Amino acid sequence: MPRPAVLALLGLAVLAAVIVLGVAAGSVAVAPGDTIGILLRALGFPLERTWAATAETIVLELRLPRVLTAVVVGAGLAVAGATFQGLLRNPLADPYVLGTASGAALGAAIAVLIPVRIALLGLGLLNVFAFAGGLAAVAVVYRLGRGGPLAPLTGLLLTGYAVGSLLAAGLAMTMYLSGANLRQIFSFLLGGLGGSTWMSLAIAAPLVIGGSVAILARARALNGLLLGEEAAAHLGVDVRRERGILLGLATLVTAAAVAVSGLIGFIGLVAPHLVRLVVGPNARHVLPLAAILGAVLLVIADVVARLLGEIPVGVVTAVIGAPFFLALLRSARGGYEL
Amino acid sequence: MRFIPSSAMRTVRSVASIALVAALLAACGSGPAPTGAPTPTATPAQAAAATATPAATATPAPTPAALFPLTFIDDEGTTVTIPSRPQRIVSLTPATTEILFAVGAGARVVATTDFDDYPPEAVALPDVASFQGVDVEKIVGLEADLVVAGGNGFNSPDAIAKLRGLGIPVVVVYAPDVSGVLKDIELVATAAGEPVAGATITAQMQAEIGALRDALGAAGRTPPRVFYELDATKEIYGPADGSFVAEMISLAGGDPITTGSPTVFSIPLEVLLAADPQVIVLGDAAYGTTPEIVAARPGWGGMTAVTSGAVRPVNDVVVTRPGPRLVEGLRALALAIDPAAPLPPAAAPTAAP
Amino acid sequence: MAAAGSARPAPGPAQAAFEDVVVAYRDRTIIRGVSLAIAPGERVALVGPNGAGKSTLLRVLAGLVAPRSGRAFLGGDPVAALDRPAIARRLAAVPGQAALPFSARVEEVVALGRLPHEDPFRGPRAADRAAVDAAISRVGIDHLRGRDARELSLGERQLVLVALAVAQAAPLLVLDEPTAHLDLRHQVAVMELLADLNARDGTTILAVLHDLTLARHFFPRLVVLDGGQVVADGPPAAVLTAERVRAVFGVDVALTGGTASGAPVVATAAGAP
Repeated sequence: MPRPAVLALLGLAVLAAVIVLGVAAGSVAVAPGDTIGILLRALGFPLERTWAATAETIVLELRLPRVLTAVVVGAGLAVAGATFQGLLRNPLADPYVLGTASGAALGAAIAVLIPVRIALLGLGLLNVFAFAGGLAAVAVVYRLGRGGPLAPLTGLLLTGYAVGSLLAAGLAMTMYLSGANLRQIFSFLLGGLGGSTWMSLAIAAPLVIGGSVAILARARALNGLLLGEEAAAHLGVDVRRERGILLGLATLVTAAAVAVSGLIGFIGLVAPHLVRLVVGPNARHVLPLAAILGAVLLVIADVVARLLGEIPVGVVTAVIGAPFFLALLRSARGGYEL
Repeated sequence: MRFIPSSAMRTVRSVASIALVAALLAACGSGPAPTGAPTPTATPAQAAAATATPAATATPAPTPAALFPLTFIDDEGTTVTIPSRPQRIVSLTPATTEILFAVGAGARVVATTDFDDYPPEAVALPDVASFQGVDVEKIVGLEADLVVAGGNGFNSPDAIAKLRGLGIPVVVVYAPDVSGVLKDIELVATAAGEPVAGATITAQMQAEIGALRDALGAAGRTPPRVFYELDATKEIYGPADGSFVAEMISLAGGDPITTGSPTVFSIPLEVLLAADPQVIVLGDAAYGTTPEIVAARPGWGGMTAVTSGAVRPVNDVVVTRPGPRLVEGLRALALAIDPAAPLPPAAAPTAAP
Repeated sequence: MAAAGSARPAPGPAQAAFEDVVVAYRDRTIIRGVSLAIAPGERVALVGPNGAGKSTLLRVLAGLVAPRSGRAFLGGDPVAALDRPAIARRLAAVPGQAALPFSARVEEVVALGRLPHEDPFRGPRAADRAAVDAAISRVGIDHLRGRDARELSLGERQLVLVALAVAQAAPLLVLDEPTAHLDLRHQVAVMELLADLNARDGTTILAVLHDLTLARHFFPRLVVLDGGQVVADGPPAAVLTAERVRAVFGVDVALTGGTASGAPVVATAAGAP
């Protein structure tokens, strides 16, 4: 089995290549040489400008923030997915399992309906409401899901499902009342990186990266939970505290990702799985490698979405992710015990 | 919102804008100056004719320098600044394309949408927008210096924000009613550097609308109940309360049957039956709906419109497109409502030379 | 010889102790005043009928359940005063069975035992890896290295869990029905392993057992818990008599052979000869 460090270096090299690919692709043809030249010049290399000013605008102002947002969002979703899978001890968990998706979607839908146009630091009302909605939903699930007769994990999962369903009903109602704005809500639901700007990246990236690093620092607790909450307690993990902290961090990362790019599925579910197949369940290895893989996957998916005429990237990830997931389920041995 | 402001007041506005332009011309001090600001006259048609002449003979050379840089507020309340006369205009709505060509800016349009269909010269232009969205990259690649987009979600707000973020002036237009259409024609024309042509067109449209209303009202008939069918393949879709189509029907001499809510576009069959339209106008004729199909629908046979054979198709494009052919749509709608309607003679097309 | 990386417990105050512990939930009292002391190096079996409170007692010791009154002690200190990592350094628990949501190799599962000792940020160090290897060898599952833990038989999995606890290098090893689903061979293997850990490494062992035969044969001290109270505490010969078994378990048994033999405690149906 290859060492995780080697895999990480390999992954980063692939990521760099995929970023260049992402920046080179688009509806306006920019020669690959020019693309690399523009990037290098932006990084500080003293190169002559041999390309049109519009090409530079397109690459640096339109494509680069979009590709980098895909990197950040893909990495964040993968880390959040891995965390939820470990936390809930359920390999079918994804970043949206506790209602983040429904909460963010409802927040976004409400924002679309409000006939006010504000932009705070380059972020529209939609981004802010989506972020707040995602956080609020999980906070409600956490409050309601604790205590009660069920085991904490089961309680959380089931409450997440119930609250998510309720929020989805609210979303359906809001969409019904939205009239002409339906299209906007819908495109949020399907996920897309078309609205990425340097500003939105500057706000989302610290949250996603900061949250992910904080989760990585608590990898020990995640590992402890492998055999169950009681076993984790016996191994010295303060289960209640770690569960709350990890949940909060993973939700923060997910909400930040969703706020800038809508609901993109399957990355958070599939990337951690693929990584575990190669390096095992140790969170210290899974988290960083899943982040890299998630970033690579989303950049590629976004390129495909762009080349296919700007279809929503969530459609691409679903089309690729679902069959993979089915294959995963079929080859799973020993079932998935909870 | 009905077309309530009287035709006289509208004429004053368009006359005033022409007067402003004329004054700017005078201020620049070159070219033959008009003989003073024209005074509002009794009939709108005369006033339009009187002011059109001096504007037409003014040489266009000083106009661009005086008009730009231009700052104004678009239909979404955004302040837009256009630094100089746009030479590479991108139109993101079919109505805007028609306006630009009608005011003589067609040669400066570099891209449109893929569902533009009029005028024929526009169809050949490159497409930068489709049902899926706006191709911001392409617009940047074409070095556009003005983009006109549709509001109320017609074009993606993200794309509009992106373009503005890159320093490209974007004017967003949205006309919820007929007076809004006239305002937008002037707005787009001014933004493109052709304010005079825009004002001319709207003044003429205004006059025609007024004349049509007077002619239809003069006959003294009660407007028939009209249902404008948008689509009836599954649910029945018709005009919402206070919508653009409802206003058009009123102006065309009908009493519109609406859905009962300003945000809902569907109407249950029972409600439609209870309203009993005397005329059904097929706005979906282009998609294959014919009077025979309507008559064959279960439950529709009892409506007055069906029994009296008053189910007529109409070209929905001119009826609903908020552009310079609106009057043509109004006339078509009036004839669909009553083929024997006493319409005044149609004016000559207002396309600029 | 104790393997490198495992700790010999220091002699001193009781390894584990209970002082008038009462555990109750709302209206149900589960433990009704238990006082018990286990010295370092002892090997004790906790037996009793279902619902007697045996598992609850273990959870009190591990600090997972707070007693309504009374105190539990680990290594001389009250459990209530210790934080989780401190408890983990004094007590290693082997569950009856554990479910793994993801595939994991045997070494990775055993490595979890080093969690209380790992550096929180950098993870396991060389000493930790050595301890894991030592634990695997000590428990005798070298032949299972590299295997997916989810594919092992229940008996093999139990040995892996014991190895995990051994890697944890705590002076007290607590087991809750470690032989519950095992075949005879693995039952004996686990029991012999515990005896070996106790004899050679000096690990204190406290095990909840259902199988009276195994308890009688492998454990020099039996504590019988019934209805939340200790009803007997001492060597098997004194504690496990036919009368006591009938009183506590409600079953007639025939005790064959002496306590030192491996002869089973045979249950007879009521009234059968």
